[in-house]
Amino acid sequence: MTTVALRWVHRNLFAKPFDTALSLVVIPMLAWAVYAFAHWALIEAHWQVVGGSFKVLMTGIYPAGQLWRAWFSVATLCAMFGAGLGLSLRPGRAALTAVASVAILIAAALAAAIDVHSGMLTAACAALGIAAWIGTQRSAVDQRIVLSGLLAGVVAVFVVLSPPGFEVWGGLLLSVVLTIAVSILTLPFGILLALGRQSRITSLRVISTAYIETMRSVPLILVVYWIWIIVPLLAPDTSVPGLLRGMAGFALFFAAYVAEYVRSGLQAVPKGQIEAAKSLAMSSWTLNVDIVLPQALRVVVPSLVGQILDIFNGATLVFIIGLTDFLRAGQMILADPQNSGRTYEIYVFLFAVYLAIGGAITYASRRLEAHLARGSR
Amino acid sequence: MSTEIAEYHSIPPARRGLLIASKWLFQAAIVLVVAGLVIWLGLAVREALARKGIQFSFGYLGNVANFSLSEGVVPSFVGHWPDLEPFSPTHTNLQALLAGLWNSLKVALSAIVLCTMFGTLVGIGRLSTNWLVRNLCFGLVEAIRNTPLLIQIVFWYFAVVLRFPPANAASNWFGGLLASRSGVFFPGLAISERAGAASWGLLVAAVALVVACLVLRGLRLRLILLAAAISALMAAAFIGFPLGLDLPVATRFGARGGFAISPEMTALLLAIVVNSSAYVAEIVRGAIESLPKGQWEASASLGLSRSHTLRDIILPQVFRIVLPSLANRYISLTKDTSLGIAIGFPDLFNVYGTVSNQTGRNLEGVVIVMLTYLALSWIISACVNGINARVNGRRGR
Repeated sequence: MTTVALRWVHRNLFAKPFDTALSLVVIPMLAWAVYAFAHWALIEAHWQVVGGSFKVLMTGIYPAGQLWRAWFSVATLCAMFGAGLGLSLRPGRAALTAVASVAILIAAALAAAIDVHSGMLTAACAALGIAAWIGTQRSAVDQRIVLSGLLAGVVAVFVVLSPPGFEVWGGLLLSVVLTIAVSILTLPFGILLALGRQSRITSLRVISTAYIETMRSVPLILVVYWIWIIVPLLAPDTSVPGLLRGMAGFALFFAAYVAEYVRSGLQAVPKGQIEAAKSLAMSSWTLNVDIVLPQALRVVVPSLVGQILDIFNGATLVFIIGLTDFLRAGQMILADPQNSGRTYEIYVFLFAVYLAIGGAITYASRRLEAHLARGSR
Repeated sequence: MSTEIAEYHSIPPARRGLLIASKWLFQAAIVLVVAGLVIWLGLAVREALARKGIQFSFGYLGNVANFSLSEGVVPSFVGHWPDLEPFSPTHTNLQALLAGLWNSLKVALSAIVLCTMFGTLVGIGRLSTNWLVRNLCFGLVEAIRNTPLLIQIVFWYFAVVLRFPPANAASNWFGGLLASRSGVFFPGLAISERAGAASWGLLVAAVALVVACLVLRGLRLRLILLAAAISALMAAAFIGFPLGLDLPVATRFGARGGFAISPEMTALLLAIVVNSSAYVAEIVRGAIESLPKGQWEASASLGLSRSHTLRDIILPQVFRIVLPSLANRYISLTKDTSLGIAIGFPDLFNVYGTVSNQTGRNLEGVVIVMLTYLALSWIISACVNGINARVNGRRGR
């Protein structure tokens, strides 16, 4: 056993003089960094600040009496996520155990830090998600049901959450709901733009290209801010909530990126497919909807999933239009003089949550890519 | 083939004319609809602004700004010499926007240089034979790419830069670098008063010789040039060297001397450099892995060491492949500087926000800012395309 370990160390850390030198520099530095962080995290840090402000971090200033609406949304989102996962990846035993143990861990931590009630609700939501994952089969019928279920779920979340008013939405819930809504909104618009850019009609092509290129060369923050400013000018009599204006800005911006991904998918469809469809006298609508798009979208699913991460990361920019997303909620907590010394605790927590969600999305995107590559071989 | 088919289905001229006409009508209809939409949008916004008493015009750019920026310079003239002076509230709105653009460019250009260097290093580190270095680089890259840039910026600002010691107790790092919460101070070059024209001439000659040494080929010629450059420098030092090192010093009332960058710029630059380095590392790693394995094997069989192979065989080829991806990264990086508003860095977007809040002129402002960012993107891709054509054109010859 020791010889194996020693051989591994020799081969991987001290194989050559330069490797040895690198190891001798990196190992002490890493050990010191790990020790310093562990010492801080386990002994010095006051993690109570995270537990104490958990409600603000998760839902912002959402009224405390209406929190059942937030819980309903979490349950719906878990079920949607599970069903979506079931469509693409079959649950293996290892994956199920990992997801279940993480969920139990989070639920236990919540039960300990806040109250037993929220811990149990979290466990129930996780169980719902896992059940949806196991229950969904990879069949055409399930696909249709799940896709319409996803749309219905988003609508239901909006309907249930909206009665207290859009301006009180906040925290991680706002970030997630905004991301999902924008991801769905960008799809049709992005597909239309991509088709427009490929079109034989010159004017359509020029206009689509101009739109895509302009959006891709200006910063997201400018688009979001400007849409937020301009909507009240265009419709002075109605007051459109800031959240919806922000969502419009995000959707207009990210549609250009979706269009580019879809275009790469359109280019990947073999020309013979289009020629065959044309020789069968299909109309251009049938040709696009039944032949080209299903194959093109299949190729770009991993990129579109990766794009969700960009939208989620971009959702932090809603601070510019006065919304309180997850990051902003953390900063609000730090603005309280009572918590002024807790900068590291809050930022480490925010960073960890962002990393966990981002890592999960990236992992899903890579798995999908590998999965699709296997299918097309 | 296609002409044959066209002849078979010959369409009567009258009908063909109708078809062409309807095609043109269709195109014209699309253009009209889109142009109408854009014009309607512009008119509606203009009307809404007019109701508030604001007319569409760029005249406000010449008005006095009446606000101050924490940093920023504007071009001005001292006599006939162009000069830069700090922005003050008596300058115009246009000068404020220029100062903001200058701040954005300052961060973007430094970040482009730094992230290319660090990103290449980390990208090579991801392929290191050392297990620890390889996985450390992987972990860092993934942690940075999977979290929002904004949280990185605010973290660097609130949790790192603002936690530096105050300027009067600032720690002096290697080489006189002074890091404090009121900014980072680098040693600067100062022009010495005593130097005469002769020593300036010798310095310029030394620089020219070094440049010639780098450009020209031939070992003997290079050695001679280098020797000449060193002797010119020594002679200049003997008769009074024209440049001196201006080291920053921490005093009771803050730091003084050297070349200072503000805490906001420090944090923004750190965040953007670290973030973009992670993306550049992925680009470089992908490019190295895309090279045929035979390149490594051939140079190993010639007895070249791994570091030699990397420096002389792999990296020169990699830089040809990565240029288009790097251009996209540089454009994203330039757009990312607009997030400086979160920590109060007066970049172009931040100044635009202030100007339009003060004057209510959003429409004009957004046109200017949008065109500026478009121009920046075009300039960056034109530059990289130019380099790409030069580098890859040589291969074709």
